[in-house]
Amino acid sequence: METQAKNPNFNIASKKKKSAELSLGYNPYAKDKLYAVLFLGPSLLILALFVFYPMLRTIYLSFFLTNNLGKPTVFVGLKNYFALFSSNAYINSLIATLVYVIAVSIFTIAIGLVLAQAATKKVAGINFFRTIFSATMGVSVSVAAIFWLFIFNPSVGLLSQLFTALNLTPINWLTEPGWAMTAIVISTVWMNLGFTFLIFFGALQSVPYTLYEAAQIEGVSKSYQFFHITLPMISPTIFFVSIITLIESFKSFGLIDLMTAGGPNNATNLLVYRIYQDAFLNGNYGLASTESVILAVIIALFTFIQFKVLEKRVTY
Amino acid sequence: MKRKRTIFAALVIIFLAIIGFTFSQKSSAKADSRIKIVFWHEMTGPGQVQLNKFVKEFNDSQNKYVVVPQFEGNYNEAVQKILNTHGTSTSPALFQSMDISTSQIYNSGYTTPVQKFIDKEGYDTSKISAVARAFYSKNGTQLSMPFNTSQPVLYYNATLLKKYGITPPPVNPSYSDITRVATELYQKSGKKVKGLSVEIYGWLFEQFLANGGESLANNEDGHSGVPTSVNFSGTVATKTMKWLQENIKSGAFMNFGAGSSASANEMAAFLSGKLGMFLQSSADISQLTAGTKDKLGITYYPHADGQKSNGVSIGGASLWISNDKSSEVQQGAWNFIKFLMNAKNQATWQVATGYLALNKDSQDEPVLKKLYKSQPEAKVPGQQLRRTKPNNTNSGIFMQGLIQERTLTQTAMEQIYNGSNIKNSLVEAQKAMNSYITSDNLANKVNQK
Amino acid sequence: MSIELINISKTYNGSDFILSDISVKIATGEFFAIVGPSGCGKSTLLRMIAGLIPISNGQLKIDDKDVTNLPPQERALTMVFQNYALFPFLNVKDNVAFGLKARKMNSSEINTRVNHALELVNLTDFSERKPGELSGGQRQRVALARAIASDAKICLMDEPLSNLDAQLRNKMRSEIRELQQKLGLTLIYVTHDQVEAMTMADRIMVLNDAKAQQIDSASNIYDTPSNTFVASFFGTPQMNLLPIILKENKQPSDVETNLKFSITNSLKAGNYLVGVRPNALAIDEVSSKTNAIVTNIEYLGTHSIVHAQLDNSLELRIEVSSTRNLSTTERVSVSVTGNHYIFSEDGQKLLNTNGGYTDGNASQEPQLQHSI
Repeated sequence: METQAKNPNFNIASKKKKSAELSLGYNPYAKDKLYAVLFLGPSLLILALFVFYPMLRTIYLSFFLTNNLGKPTVFVGLKNYFALFSSNAYINSLIATLVYVIAVSIFTIAIGLVLAQAATKKVAGINFFRTIFSATMGVSVSVAAIFWLFIFNPSVGLLSQLFTALNLTPINWLTEPGWAMTAIVISTVWMNLGFTFLIFFGALQSVPYTLYEAAQIEGVSKSYQFFHITLPMISPTIFFVSIITLIESFKSFGLIDLMTAGGPNNATNLLVYRIYQDAFLNGNYGLASTESVILAVIIALFTFIQFKVLEKRVTY
Repeated sequence: MKRKRTIFAALVIIFLAIIGFTFSQKSSAKADSRIKIVFWHEMTGPGQVQLNKFVKEFNDSQNKYVVVPQFEGNYNEAVQKILNTHGTSTSPALFQSMDISTSQIYNSGYTTPVQKFIDKEGYDTSKISAVARAFYSKNGTQLSMPFNTSQPVLYYNATLLKKYGITPPPVNPSYSDITRVATELYQKSGKKVKGLSVEIYGWLFEQFLANGGESLANNEDGHSGVPTSVNFSGTVATKTMKWLQENIKSGAFMNFGAGSSASANEMAAFLSGKLGMFLQSSADISQLTAGTKDKLGITYYPHADGQKSNGVSIGGASLWISNDKSSEVQQGAWNFIKFLMNAKNQATWQVATGYLALNKDSQDEPVLKKLYKSQPEAKVPGQQLRRTKPNNTNSGIFMQGLIQERTLTQTAMEQIYNGSNIKNSLVEAQKAMNSYITSDNLANKVNQK
Repeated sequence: MSIELINISKTYNGSDFILSDISVKIATGEFFAIVGPSGCGKSTLLRMIAGLIPISNGQLKIDDKDVTNLPPQERALTMVFQNYALFPFLNVKDNVAFGLKARKMNSSEINTRVNHALELVNLTDFSERKPGELSGGQRQRVALARAIASDAKICLMDEPLSNLDAQLRNKMRSEIRELQQKLGLTLIYVTHDQVEAMTMADRIMVLNDAKAQQIDSASNIYDTPSNTFVASFFGTPQMNLLPIILKENKQPSDVETNLKFSITNSLKAGNYLVGVRPNALAIDEVSSKTNAIVTNIEYLGTHSIVHAQLDNSLELRIEVSSTRNLSTTERVSVSVTGNHYIFSEDGQKLLNTNGGYTDGNASQEPQLQHSI
């Protein structure tokens, strides 16, 4: 209302409206408010019910021990938090998650970019490769898990047969801690590639080709063109993809559940999987809520850092 | 205009016909005035097929009750659903729940112990396997009725052993018997065939302790009171883990890891002749006979050298009656349980699924005799079940948080299989479990003394 | 540095030629424009000269050295693009220095060149800005500065002014021309705008239908267009092209109502096209005999373009002084007052201008009134 008063025209208009209001006995602003409530109401209600309430409830539960029916019974304050941070297993999960997230993000972006760059070449049959590269978009997690389980199978799998044929000792992909993480990272990167490829491919297509022509005339090498033209030109896309990939990999569940179930020796027991185990297998809702809160904070923190650091390097 | 009217009339007729049809459907459903017994189960594959046959047979024989089976996904999900729906109209009258959720369901107080009906009708439980009954009872009260029941056994590929001229293991083998067969197989095959696989599976860990007569939890594995601590690092546990670790290191044993992929890989290796022996549930038998032409051999669960086998407990699930339904409904649920447990149905159940027939009289049923004739080895699991005398160390562990126990023992097994110090790994898991029990008991307001 | 194109052709599938047999020798320091309608292959030709697109047939020489198969950087030239091809993530200075840095030139040399180039285009004050913070004209100048900094003596420009507004375009035209002369550049300038070509270039190549239609100075192209395409492409408003039939007995026909031309009687009887520029027509205020009706008037300040329909229904454009007050549907008398051209019927060949011979026999006198 203060800003309205400063505007003489508006003032007149509102005066007019006020007189109309008096004569007709209705308030246009009340009507606006009614509309606002009508339009926003349903979505607010849904958000409140399905987002805000569970969020607050999770935070609330994280201060309790829960009984086997999932009811909070003993208030323990921050004890759940202390218990987690003093548990070796949890710290190991945290480290494993960081390793996983960083490896997945880096490889997804690097390989996705290489594939996208390769697919911009105008050669015979390129459409076939473009389709293949983006094909994992349409593969569900369960199908991917079966596919990779077959490849990693220690006795009849494709890789072990290949290793045997080459006279190498087959690797126990899913039962040795280091290799299990490698196997999970490989499968996740493979799953992510379709989406990443498509996004990067689109971004590369939108770089004006005259930039490359200009560089070519100046005698700029292909690799210099890639690092000094392509990368800066698609830096907003790289930023976008890196945030999406990071958050998605923090939330990875399906492949882990189906391929290693967190093993061996908790090597792939990532934070999300631990939450699932504590809540739905052990019925320990309090602890699981604590873990959820911590995970949410970590993701928020990472996203914040990414915005701060990468935004500076996103160049236009 | 006329044409439009005809179309309109036709539409009205179709519409009315649909309404009429739905109503007639509904009224025919209403015509079934029998009392509904909602039955939640978690059986898949052949188990589900056979269970539905039983339900149909039962319903056809009834004019008072009708059983409505509903599949509820996996065991873990089902437990949560049962606990969360109790007291509502959607909750089941009868439900199947897995072995290790027994204590949790019991403590919820949501069920009527089947002992009530046993006492009321003077039902003869002596026909039902004692070991199986013991698993689901508390202080002499039968809480639920054992249903799909299996025992861990050792499978071996008899054809493969014969090919390499190796004497098969005895029917009640010791660890060293198995080591011998495994090592011979590994060496004679030019290290191409692995001798034995013991999946990283908490159930198998529990069974090693049971067979060695060692309690896993205090208060006699929870049978005399709520456990307040666990013992993962006793003599039997340590001895067994040492045996496994040494042979994995030598190459004679194979580590397939943990989880569903592990058992799938293990099974695939066995069926393709790359693995000679493995420890697994007796319920796998039908899958194994269907999957390979090789002759299958089965022995009892192996025991440590220099001691007698105490016998193993069971795995599987039992049937519970909810107490949030009328006594009439509960009676109907009990009638259905009795129907499932009769000698003929138990025999059919074993033939169809590989789960063990729990009724002693089933052994005389023609279907089962026919099976034994074609597959003599199929007798072995049942023999192991019947020869076992239930005591406090081989009747399961009556404790909440068994899933956590399995997760932790599995982690310890993983570490040990990969060469870690046995004592340290077991003690670390034990510590974690003890702190879990402490807070769980606190949360559930259990008095600790 | 001179550039020579010898029978250069371009085809993508081996049979359809986008360009065929283009030959021209461009002298050192020449401002050479390539002009034609969109899709005529002028940008393709420029990119072939640059080395960005391979040459299908023919030979390209720079300073008498065969460069047909050399990569762009070995042709020692530079190029300015229609969309300027500036890097949005670099500031003006770095944009200009981009190629020099990529070639690992030492930094003091880069600085000298960049500063010099920015000075030449008056952008010194803007050197820290990103392209997004510049106006269209300023971006254009950054592109020019980059070309200047590269120090190449041949500069190729691909419609560099087409994204600017009309006023700025005028200003930039003279700036580019001045720069070219100051730096002694050999400049090949592609445009679709005939005014640009005429005002800037020493010589112009008119491209159409995959062929060079005419290569000549602006005035020669205007005065003696080699065919109707060139004739109507150059000059605004467009030249009027009227069909004419010369009869066997060379008798005038429809004298009373139609436009009168003087045509050499050496032309054989047959069908021709007569071209008259609008400024070679006039509306006769004195004559009371009218032969056309005004259909539209475009007012342009100093003069107007009058669209009129002859009584035999041919359309004409006539340039008249704006002081003359005319209105549509007014009947007027139109007459030829200046040059006119006779083309073969298919428009491919100029036969005769202003009644004189195009074959050099201008002395032959006999002329004949003819009208259409």
